[in-house]
Amino acid sequence: MAKGKITKNYQQLADELAAIMDWFESDKVNLDQAVIKYQQAMELLIEMEAYLKTAENKIRKIATRFGK
Amino acid sequence: MSTELIFSPSDFVAVFNQTIEYAYPGVVIEGELANFKVSRGRWVYFDIKDETASLAFFGNVYQLPGPLQDGLKLRVSGRPRLHPRFGFSIVFETIQPVGEGSIKKAADLLRAKLAAEGLFAPERKRPLPPLPRRIGLITAAGSAASADFLKILGQRWGGVEVMLADVLVQGQEAALQIVAALDYFEQLSPLPDVLVLTRGGGSADDLAVFNDERVVRAVAGSRMPTLVAIGHETDESLAELAADQRGATPSNAAQIVVPDRRQLLTQLATQAQALKNLTTSLYSNELSGLQDRQKNIGQKVQALLNNEKQRLLANRRLSVLFDPLAALRRGYAIITKGQSYISSVKQISAGDQLNLRLADGTLKATAGER
Repeated sequence: MAKGKITKNYQQLADELAAIMDWFESDKVNLDQAVIKYQQAMELLIEMEAYLKTAENKIRKIATRFGK
Repeated sequence: MSTELIFSPSDFVAVFNQTIEYAYPGVVIEGELANFKVSRGRWVYFDIKDETASLAFFGNVYQLPGPLQDGLKLRVSGRPRLHPRFGFSIVFETIQPVGEGSIKKAADLLRAKLAAEGLFAPERKRPLPPLPRRIGLITAAGSAASADFLKILGQRWGGVEVMLADVLVQGQEAALQIVAALDYFEQLSPLPDVLVLTRGGGSADDLAVFNDERVVRAVAGSRMPTLVAIGHETDESLAELAADQRGATPSNAAQIVVPDRRQLLTQLATQAQALKNLTTSLYSNELSGLQDRQKNIGQKVQALLNNEKQRLLANRRLSVLFDPLAALRRGYAIITKGQSYISSVKQISAGDQLNLRLADGTLKATAGER
């Protein structure tokens, strides 16, 4: 992840986090993978938090005049 | 000399229409609907009258705002013209019920018609996307409704592209503009994730456009999930009934269409804690498993040692039993003749030199007679 730069939209980040959480709840869990997954989840959480704190909406007025 | 003009009927119709078009290119007439009639499912004829006069109107069924009934008070805009064969009429362009009673009556008629078609059925409702990335916003740009919606949207969420279609939200042109905006979004690729149609409160006249059949059908026919929020306290408009979701006000529409980032930040903190707990518990379980295995291995090794010790002890007891020196100590002797051990009298002849090994030494002996 590039530090300080949001590379994915929030839904993608949330989906990735949900997949990791599901993995932790599954019977596939092993310690070696858990360490890697935990680090990935923490990075996602940081990125999601940054998104929530910094992302702004973009307002674009459509140029078309609807019968005016 | 007389300057009296003499026209043929065709010329007079042409001159009349030219004159009227110049003087009154468009007129708006308000009065009571009478003799309303639809011909061949396409052409519409009706009169608008008051106590002393009545005017004939003509037009296309697609320009109707919804089902109409004689007695309704209407405001009709159109172009006056003299038809070469059917006489004077006004070709209508827009029709708007006016007055609270007429608006309600027209809306009731339309509501019954569209409900019978299933446009308001709950099973038609689609869920709104949980995290929209592109929102099509149809409202009057610069209005309080637009400002409220965008303000609350920005407070609650970020990263959304809002495509604002600036339309009139009241008056005769509003219905066509709103329908055109809905059509515009339908043509986009990719489509916006959700459409929001909103305006603030107003009188029944102001909000009449949201009971216009063309608007209601366009909302119901949208390929995108729709949210319609009209700020008013009275009955729901038909556009709201046809939408996938209704909002009470423009601000409420923003609250519905995106989640609250503050709540999600709290949820993220909870998830981070849950993840830590899961990982810690995984470590603890693994450690506990290791300790169990260590204990198990220790017990097994101990059991093996104990078994071996018991076997050794038994062997030691046996070795004592089989120890020839032990027999010598009890008084037995080992007899040898030369290098051979003697186990039978047949191996000995009288006079043979024998060696007798006892517990504490060896004797030489000579064999006697048997």
